[in-house]
Amino acid sequence: MLLRRLRYWMDSAKRSEALGEEMDLHLAEKAAELEADGMRPEDARAEARRRFGNVGLKQEEAREIWITRFWSELVQDFRYACRTMTANKAFTALAVLSLALGIGANTTIYSFMESILLRSLPVADPESLVVLNWQSRPPQNANKEWVHVVHGVQGILWPGEKGALVSGMFPYSAFETLRTDNSVFSTVFGYFNGLDRNLTVRGQATTAGVEYVTGEYFVGLAVAPAAGRLISSEDDRPGAAPVAVISYATSQERFSGPADAVGQPILVDNIAFTVVGVAPPEFFGVDPAEAPDLYLPVHSNLLLDGSEAARMYADENFYWIELMGRLRPNVSMSQAQAALAPRFHQWVATTAKTEGERAKLPALVLNPGAAGLGSLRRQYSKPLYVLLIMVGLILAIACANIANLLLARATARRREIAVRLSLGAGRFRVVRQLLAESLMLASLGGALGVVIAMWGVRALTLLFSRGQENFTLHAQLNWTVLAMTAALSLVCGLLFGLVPAIQATRPDVMPALKNGRGGGPVRRAQHVLVVAQIAISFVILVAAGLFVQTLNNLHSVQLGYTRENILLFSLNAQQAGHTAPEIATFYSDLRKRFESIPGVSSSTISHSSIVRAGQAGKTIRGIIKIGAVTVEGARVMMAGPHFLKTMQIPILAGREIDDRDQPGSTPVAVISQRMARTYFGHENPVGRHITLPEEKRNLEIVGVSADLRYGGLRNEEESSMTVFAAINQFSPEGVTYALRTAGDPLRYVKNVRDIVREKDSRIPVTKVVTQAAEIDRTISREITFAKLCTAFAILALVMACVGLYGTMTYNVTRQVGEIGIRMALGAQRGAVIWMVLRRVLILAALGLAFSVPAALITSQLVRSFLFETQPNDPRILALAGVILLSAALLAGYAPARRASRIDPMSALRQE
Amino acid sequence: MGRKPQKNDSLPGSLDMLILRTLSLRNLHGYGIVQFIQQSSDNELLLEEGSLYPALQRLELNGWIEGVWGMTSNNRRARIYKITAAGRKQLTVETRKYAKLTLAIARVMGTE
Repeated sequence: MLLRRLRYWMDSAKRSEALGEEMDLHLAEKAAELEADGMRPEDARAEARRRFGNVGLKQEEAREIWITRFWSELVQDFRYACRTMTANKAFTALAVLSLALGIGANTTIYSFMESILLRSLPVADPESLVVLNWQSRPPQNANKEWVHVVHGVQGILWPGEKGALVSGMFPYSAFETLRTDNSVFSTVFGYFNGLDRNLTVRGQATTAGVEYVTGEYFVGLAVAPAAGRLISSEDDRPGAAPVAVISYATSQERFSGPADAVGQPILVDNIAFTVVGVAPPEFFGVDPAEAPDLYLPVHSNLLLDGSEAARMYADENFYWIELMGRLRPNVSMSQAQAALAPRFHQWVATTAKTEGERAKLPALVLNPGAAGLGSLRRQYSKPLYVLLIMVGLILAIACANIANLLLARATARRREIAVRLSLGAGRFRVVRQLLAESLMLASLGGALGVVIAMWGVRALTLLFSRGQENFTLHAQLNWTVLAMTAALSLVCGLLFGLVPAIQATRPDVMPALKNGRGGGPVRRAQHVLVVAQIAISFVILVAAGLFVQTLNNLHSVQLGYTRENILLFSLNAQQAGHTAPEIATFYSDLRKRFESIPGVSSSTISHSSIVRAGQAGKTIRGIIKIGAVTVEGARVMMAGPHFLKTMQIPILAGREIDDRDQPGSTPVAVISQRMARTYFGHENPVGRHITLPEEKRNLEIVGVSADLRYGGLRNEEESSMTVFAAINQFSPEGVTYALRTAGDPLRYVKNVRDIVREKDSRIPVTKVVTQAAEIDRTISREITFAKLCTAFAILALVMACVGLYGTMTYNVTRQVGEIGIRMALGAQRGAVIWMVLRRVLILAALGLAFSVPAALITSQLVRSFLFETQPNDPRILALAGVILLSAALLAGYAPARRASRIDPMSALRQE
Repeated sequence: MGRKPQKNDSLPGSLDMLILRTLSLRNLHGYGIVQFIQQSSDNELLLEEGSLYPALQRLELNGWIEGVWGMTSNNRRARIYKITAAGRKQLTVETRKYAKLTLAIARVMGTE
């Protein structure tokens, strides 16, 4: 029967016509019969009609059988809503646009939150995955010495609550202990980051990110290969055949597809491996921040990293491997923790060598692993929450605007609504019709908002990814997000449509019929909304001001070296097979070759760029001594000839490192000025000696340089004490080249690549970047924030001003009579303008009064993002206030002028 | 002018039954059904003629009757209804219900 109903509904126009025809025939036949009985034709027709009953009503009743009244009325409502909306294009456009911006911004940020914070790994049953971490008391003792079972670590330790030490790295024997006889985990697997390696496929060399994984990694994650097979426990043994699994993307880039890649030989850092399989397309490992190109068995690091690697397995105090486990069915995470923590505690106690270490044993902590590792989350969750709050506020402003506009319109239509009510329309029906309008507005706004969000997600990804190299985050608009958006628009539509609608249809119809004017409560509601908008705009303005100030402060940090026109890139000849001592000559030759490029005024090498120093692979980290004194807080930078010249760091005494300093000659060093001052006072340090006991080196100081800032701009370690050592004397492995160029450094990249390829085609040129870009990368988050917040602040301010303008215009229109009287009584134009503006200022002042304390409180939330800026910096508050007041005055000026132009005569006539 | 037609509200719902019974005997168009009922009841049952049509729509929606376009005896285009198999079943059901109802009323009226 439902099908029939549907069919009837679709044919309803035709059916109505048919029905009309039927009824006409009936009437005609009845009339004919009555005529035959002797009535006159007109009387016959009239009587036939009378006997029939109310034709119109019967038709309606019949139609109602097909579609219930509810639906046909609903369609009517929406049709009417469309008509009113096209009739007031300006209003509609404004409302839809501001709502779209609000919803679009919210959807964008929420997409990011969803993919960073909420989405699970693309593996089977991610909910039963668990990440193993440990936690211990702070490792430093009273003398700031490191006393802890962790003697060495390859990876990250991060601060937990109250200074505790937290990490996800474990020694290999811990892994073995936890793995055996595990009643709570069905699998325990491990992995660690293998850094970037030289991957040669069919003669072509590039860099690839490597992840070492244990035999049960793929089993534990329950992924199926896209081709071939995945790494198994058999492969993860010392001496097993070297096999590799490549990522799906790599199989497409370096081979012609997954099927083609299986069984192929590859070279990783010049060591032969065989590809046994390809990972599935969406798989990116367990860390959303990184997507490895290559997965190798853990024990293959013995082939790649040599003797150092062998030590890692045996050393119980060296923490390097990360662990995850899959819970057995019906075992909860807390049960697993209760079962394993004692076992871990027992094991780690045996590794403590002293009492001090025994006092601070790490305790096992299990964390949910469904969303993968937390590094991306840790980095972005707080900023994202801040942004979410901000766009939420902007949406509130947009809704307030629309509510205002709808209120004004509902009041303007009071007469129409009163007429309808008095003609017998049900109140619910009228409210429903007004609601249909606001729902339509809201859905249009929501649809447009989705379009804005799509663009926004792309733009935001671009902004965020400028700070990372391999940014693997792909925020997408997915169904959850779209559903949220739809819900949001629906709620908005109902919210700001319902109140005005109910308000406007109040039963006291007579006053409205008489003079159709708006009343006090509407004005009050509007004023409340505008004050709220102004308050919110102020808060956002203050936030923007704080971030812009932070950015300014960062930009004016003294670096000590030049920022512009420097091209940086890295090479690792060792991964292609070069060894000491020939590798030093290789690099040196290249350097001279670079210097001869037209446009390059100077070139140099170092173990890493200044910004990235301390993060790179091989550095010298040991103690530095001058005589018997230990130097505190200095860093060693291994640099080649012309370093100071290229980076434009002034030489204050002696000379810098140059070609004279070779592996065979006297080991030399250049120290920075602050170090010279601190440890040598006013004496000339040239000729004195520095020792590096752990490297067993004694360096002669040959020069003093100006101070420079090590690391990124936000580096808390103000280590401006630098020791430059000659890189050639320390058998370099991978180096970073710096070229000072005339003009845009990126123009020289092709040249550089050609030269390197000519010299040795097995070596890829990596990490090509300009110095300026690299510095900006360290503050990319601050840049993004400043840009976003400024954009948000402008948006909020514009919307609030629109709201203010609308309200003032409405007020002026309502008060035309009063103003007319005043002017007729002699008020000057200026006085009228002042009257309107005074109201504007009062509203703005009220808004400020509410928002200043709110701003003070909320700006404390973003304290950690700021740099050398106080959250309650009075200058910024004052500036924001001034901007707000000027904007408000500007918005109020047009209505004010209109008020002053009122012709008293026509105004009074309107009464 | 004739008696004022009484609305058929003495036993609500029986209109459906009357229509089905009429159509079970022959296929008719709307006016024809009204005529048949009035004539068969010896002009005792005078329906409000318009209320036939919503009833016809309802019966058609439920699948108890079927309407096709055809020609009347006067060669005018009309929609002619006929009863379906389901309609006949429904007619039996309604007749039984109606009989039970009248019996019940008669009992009440007959009680001392």
